[in-house]
Amino acid sequence: MSNGPERKRPRLFRLPTSRQRLRGDIDRELRFHIEGRVEELIASGLTREQAEREMAQRFGNLSVVRHQLEEIDTGTYRRHELGEWRSVLARDFGQALRGLVLRPAFAAVVVLTLGLGIGATTAIFALLDAVVLRPLPYLNAARLVYIEHPVPGVETNAKWRMSQAGYFFFRKNSRALEDIALYNKTEASLVTPDAAERVRAAAVSGNFFEVVGARPLLGRSFTDADNRPNAAPVAMLGHAFWRQRFNGDSRVVGTSVSLGSTPVTIIGVAPPKLDLPDYQAQVWLPLELDPDAPAVNSHYLDAIGRLRPGVTVGAAQADAARLTSRLPEEFPVAYSPGFMRESRFGVLVSPLRDIVIGGMSRTLWILLGAVSIVMLIAVANVANLFLVRAEARRRETDIRLVLGAGRLHLASHDIAESILLSLLGGLLAVGLAYGAIRFLVVINPSSVPRLAELSLGWQAGVVALVLSLGAGVGLGLLPLTRLALGGGSVSTLREGGRTQTASRGQLSARSALVVAQMALAVVLLAAAGLMVRSFQRLRSVQPGFDASNVLTFEVSLPYTRYVPRVRGPAAYVPVFRYHRDLAQQLAALPGVTSVGMTQALAMKDGDGCALVFVKDRGYTRENAPCVGNIIAGPGYFTTLGIPVRGRVPTWADVDEQSGAVVVSKALADHMWPGEDPIGKELRPNGPVAPWYHVVGVTGDVLTRGLDQPPSEIVYYPMVPIEGAPLWYPPTHMTVVIRTRATDPLSVAPAARRVVTALDREVPVANVQTMQTIVERSTARTTFAMLLLAVAGGMALVLSAVGIYGVISYTVTQRRPEIGVRMALGAQAAQVGRMVVAQSLRFAAAGIAIGLLGAFATTRVLQSLLFGVNPTDPVTLGGVTIILVMLGALAAYVPARRATKVDPVEVLRQQG
Amino acid sequence: MPDTDLDLLRGTLDLLILKTLSWGPMHGLAVLRWIEQVTEQRLQITEGALYPALHRMEQKGWLGADWGYSDRNREAKFYKLTAAGRRQLTAELSKWSRYTEAVNLLIAAQGVR
Repeated sequence: MSNGPERKRPRLFRLPTSRQRLRGDIDRELRFHIEGRVEELIASGLTREQAEREMAQRFGNLSVVRHQLEEIDTGTYRRHELGEWRSVLARDFGQALRGLVLRPAFAAVVVLTLGLGIGATTAIFALLDAVVLRPLPYLNAARLVYIEHPVPGVETNAKWRMSQAGYFFFRKNSRALEDIALYNKTEASLVTPDAAERVRAAAVSGNFFEVVGARPLLGRSFTDADNRPNAAPVAMLGHAFWRQRFNGDSRVVGTSVSLGSTPVTIIGVAPPKLDLPDYQAQVWLPLELDPDAPAVNSHYLDAIGRLRPGVTVGAAQADAARLTSRLPEEFPVAYSPGFMRESRFGVLVSPLRDIVIGGMSRTLWILLGAVSIVMLIAVANVANLFLVRAEARRRETDIRLVLGAGRLHLASHDIAESILLSLLGGLLAVGLAYGAIRFLVVINPSSVPRLAELSLGWQAGVVALVLSLGAGVGLGLLPLTRLALGGGSVSTLREGGRTQTASRGQLSARSALVVAQMALAVVLLAAAGLMVRSFQRLRSVQPGFDASNVLTFEVSLPYTRYVPRVRGPAAYVPVFRYHRDLAQQLAALPGVTSVGMTQALAMKDGDGCALVFVKDRGYTRENAPCVGNIIAGPGYFTTLGIPVRGRVPTWADVDEQSGAVVVSKALADHMWPGEDPIGKELRPNGPVAPWYHVVGVTGDVLTRGLDQPPSEIVYYPMVPIEGAPLWYPPTHMTVVIRTRATDPLSVAPAARRVVTALDREVPVANVQTMQTIVERSTARTTFAMLLLAVAGGMALVLSAVGIYGVISYTVTQRRPEIGVRMALGAQAAQVGRMVVAQSLRFAAAGIAIGLLGAFATTRVLQSLLFGVNPTDPVTLGGVTIILVMLGALAAYVPARRATKVDPVEVLRQQG
Repeated sequence: MPDTDLDLLRGTLDLLILKTLSWGPMHGLAVLRWIEQVTEQRLQITEGALYPALHRMEQKGWLGADWGYSDRNREAKFYKLTAAGRRQLTAELSKWSRYTEAVNLLIAAQGVR
């Protein structure tokens, strides 16, 4: 027998680490064996050669054996490595889990705090992802652009869409775009024997499906021929609508339905999930497009272009600008040089996605920034908790270190624990984010585009995972700084044994965390405060009408039955008669005080833009201003509570074609400054008689939104005067009804019955209260304000917890000192003040840094603010006061505890 | 080598190694010597069989291995039984005795008429 091994290596590091080492070990082992054997054989009388031959024989093929051993050892090594890992992980996570079960309060606070912080961030990220980051649901979405015309000379806020003539011209001559498609978000009346139903319709050019890269699910899609004025009427069904209304029956293709009063043939079914940008169409129709029609300056068509491969949006913009500059020579009447100059008619090509998302992108990035701050504050809080615990464990750690525990081992245990906690937090976060997203889908805020596509995607899951792992590793490394700084020497152990005060480094790290928290909270609260102030300002704006107790809905008359093919005012008479009858019957309903109707409802529809020629002003087509033009029925002003000076035209005025019009105050101030507008004359087309005459002036009305200036509008009658035509008979009108009922919607069923009784083929659509419409106009501000307020509130609470924790802890630590002070005659009040002062010092430092941060960052909110400066002193002052109060409040409980310190008891403990 | 060598029964090598190592840690050469010595050279075990067996048993966790120094102060790989190896030895021993008993019973049996 041989001796036992004299030296052992620790098991963990014994294993060879590479194939080369494995080979070396095998060689060494075999060499030892062969040498030993050969020596033995020589001793028994063989020569060295004989001995070696004998050995070779016994081994068989040595290289085969060696190879065999290597295979086995590689397997062994891998298995060991895996096993070691597994056991280390199992040990660390097992210990961590046991530790947490023993301290459920600690675990709960950490998981909850991290869950809130990461959850808020994940939710907003999911929103950003769905709304902004994900491509639009079209093939080649990245190559789709939107084309529109800025007209800064006419409107500063809105841009014009494309005209029919412009479309044919651009489509033919564009070098940058493969093709251009048109669409209109519109509505149609689907008539069945029982009733008429208003459906959302997409009117598109024949190439729309091809341009966005979609194929019909059934049948065919449109062609250019379907757009021709006298083409046979056809329609396609939207996928969801087909499933619901027609039970997904494929035999529906080829059959006929009634749209309005015309029968149309269903030629196909759109594929699932194909929609207009942010508009779920139920029915698809071909636009009526006439390449031979004379060019008219009427910009009502949404245009999508598809870039040629490799062409940039910038190049397409340059190309479109080139084409736009050629419009006057191509269409000298519609796009006269004077018009181009006055309106400053331009062109803008932008990625389609930017148009769909609108201003929401910026809002969401701001919100993501805000919730990230909340998360940082949450992590700071947890970091503070970890530091407190590391402090409490200091002695234990030191003893372990002195006894020879590996720093790596201790660190891996800490990290396992923090990762376990943060992953639990991440799990909670995903749950919270899912809830938040569901909630958002349910409340369906109108200011957020693409909500139909909103879901918690895997991207959001990845964000939650990365954030929680990052937090976990970061927090786990925190106690390590102390290990790395050489804690655990015998001297620190000795020091720790004598006093229990936190080490200076620890305390200053925790103070820095609290100050940082406070500073971040200041920034967030400032942002939230600014939004709240903007919201208040917006809400206090007088829109110029009274939205309460008003019900609104839309009616559309079938064009073919209500617009006779005659010229002049007679074409308008059937529409006027219908509306007069409707107004009278609705006014007779119980609870209704007045009824009106308009072509374009304030805050809901645009005011349009038409040239206005004022008599004796020398306006020409080149220089006449473009102002809002709305056909409104009598009763509109009374019903909406818009004050009118002078008189309001009556039904008799309309019937007699008296040419009485009402203008808004802003228009009157613009046209006839310092004069009485009543009795002045104007008309919409050409500076020649006959004229409409102004009989009334409204007060200022904000029709385009509370944050917009008062609108310049001419309210025209439903029937024009002979020789001064309006545009076309107003077959689509919005009815407004003022009710005595506090909930105007209660009148809706009766109103609907009246409409159906009057004409079964006239559908009622978009029934809503005026209040809802007004609220929607401030929806983006409201949305940003609410979310920022939530973020600010979370920041406030988390910071309060953070500062409370530190103050409370220092009071505990300073008990001996406080005891001595009191024994030496300090009053309880003095001690209390001392504690509060310490808290206020934190608050002051946090506020100072936070205010600097707020000054630097609140500018990003500019576009969301209304009537407040980003550095509004009232807001910043208010935030300062709130945080000072927070500092004082957080110190209150610890301060009281400090005053209760019994000096005798403390001194006895010390002795 | 003498003619009296017995061919090693399949699977017996493991038992021999386990039993040998039950006396204490040994390197491969010592294991071989011990078997030859105790069995009076009746069992012929080649190095080409021994070493793969040792390594395979190490992989199975029956044997632990450590580098150490031989009595001549050369570096050698020492094998020793692990707890699992000890359990395996017990199992192999009982299997072996049941096997030999069965074989003996058959050999000793009288013919049946």
